[in-house]
Amino acid sequence: MKRPLIWILISILLLPLVVRPAIASEIWIFAIFGLGANLLLGYSGLLSFGQSTFFGSAAYVAGWLMKIHGVNAFLALGIGVGVGAASAAVVGYLCVQRSGLYFIMLTFALNQLFYFTAYQWTSVTGGEDGMPGVPRPEFPGIDFKDPVVYYALVSFLFLISLFLMRKIVESPLGRILQAIRENEVRAEAVGYNVPRFKLLAFVIGGAFSGLAGVLYAMLFGIVPLEAISFVFSGNVVFATLIGGSGSLYGPVIGSFVFIWLSESMSTVWARWPLLLGVAFVLVVLFLRGGVVEAWHKLFLRFSKR
Amino acid sequence: MLYALMGLGLSLITGILNIPNFAHGALFAVGAYFLVSCALFMGNFWVALVVAPIGVALLGLVIEYAGIRRLYAAGHDYQLLFTFGLALILSESIILVWGPIGSSYLPPDVLRGGADLGFTMYPKYRLFVMVAAGLLVFATWLFLEKTRYGAIMRAGIENKEMVSLLGIDIKMLFTVAFGLGAYLAGIAGALIAPIRGLNPGMGPDMLGIAFVVVALGGLGNLLGAIAAGLIIGIAQALVAAYWTEASTVVIYAVMAVILLVRPQGLFGIR
Repeated sequence: MKRPLIWILISILLLPLVVRPAIASEIWIFAIFGLGANLLLGYSGLLSFGQSTFFGSAAYVAGWLMKIHGVNAFLALGIGVGVGAASAAVVGYLCVQRSGLYFIMLTFALNQLFYFTAYQWTSVTGGEDGMPGVPRPEFPGIDFKDPVVYYALVSFLFLISLFLMRKIVESPLGRILQAIRENEVRAEAVGYNVPRFKLLAFVIGGAFSGLAGVLYAMLFGIVPLEAISFVFSGNVVFATLIGGSGSLYGPVIGSFVFIWLSESMSTVWARWPLLLGVAFVLVVLFLRGGVVEAWHKLFLRFSKR
Repeated sequence: MLYALMGLGLSLITGILNIPNFAHGALFAVGAYFLVSCALFMGNFWVALVVAPIGVALLGLVIEYAGIRRLYAAGHDYQLLFTFGLALILSESIILVWGPIGSSYLPPDVLRGGADLGFTMYPKYRLFVMVAAGLLVFATWLFLEKTRYGAIMRAGIENKEMVSLLGIDIKMLFTVAFGLGAYLAGIAGALIAPIRGLNPGMGPDMLGIAFVVVALGGLGNLLGAIAAGLIIGIAQALVAAYWTEASTVVIYAVMAVILLVRPQGLFGIR
């Protein structure tokens, strides 16, 4: 368990040297988002296709409070976590009573509800143009406008999130969620209130997404409409799956690969989502189990020799 | 009625194949673009209306045969990712081929203008779409209820193992079901093109609506899909008359309210 942590620390230090600090920040923000999504996808077996609902609503609410009411940025981060959790509670409440395909479709449909609300409510959200003017935190003596300093803040919050998520996953709660994933009927029979635990997973996952959402808005100084769109939800599902869902570090690796892929593709061709789609299809057809598993297989093959 | 048509196609696919088809909206959009291109190429709306959905159905057959067929054993997560990837590919291809800017297309001369219904004037083309969609839904219902292959399909929704044990080629059934679902999505897109025009975002918009219809009506539940489609269509039309901005949101709001009252959907069992 110690080894991956050391790798992560090393990559946090080296990453800004390799890519622009903004992209490096984006990677860790996306990793926080992925951690939250993975609690649902990987640990609880809840295939939520509406993660951007929590990400986007937190970004909009916190960004709006900072912009219009001058709310302190650190307080806004906390509010974002709360908004993420609250919106996840609402969506979760409607969704946990259904399972399987219905569940997926409902999370998606509710995602669309939030998306169209943001799309039409132009006076607040700016509609298609997004909501610009989101400030970064201010603290005497520290200039967060400097990309490297902001990167340090993001990595710090990422490490805290990782630590928290590890605690959650290893706690009795995490074990119960995994029990639900493995055999829902049995978990119910043993006496656990399954819908309530699923809802709890939603709320925690939503809180992580909310944090990521606000950090994202601060990074780019804008809440784009895409932040709440279903494409974003799909991206985080993809990042979690290529990293290998159900392992703590899977989504971290996944967001690493995903952001790097999409950033490099988007500079090459404006129609890069096409390539992304091709990547999705290829991964599903040939690389199921994600990078972690592929790595594992490779490792096994080498160690046999 | 168009919503019912969309929901019906998706309901068939999700009900029989048991996969979340995120490419359904993209198939709908492809149907619309096919129609306009065919109509411009051949100069005849009616021929295009026949040809375009068949093109979409063929596309659906290829997708099922080449990709989805391998994924029935995989989890929903991978199926979702696959169809989502397909949706991205299709909608980006639309932008590549036809450009990112939407366009409009006029219905044929016969159907332009309004029809006098005695109490109100109504655009002729919308009337035609309503009738055509109604007939298509009815035809699908006839096919599923009255023909032998329709009965097999309904049996496939109920119990796949049993159907394959009876010596029926279940793989073939899956392919046909996907093709039929794609056809229904394609013709819905083709019918709507002269009303709403073309734009690359039309697929995802419709996808959400189709999901709502299926979530409310129940997987593979034909009458449920029709009822849910009608309820949503009417709710949207009513709200649009008073508060245009909210007309898209209301679809999902109606769904949320119905689910609060009846978590299992209108006719759902699961």
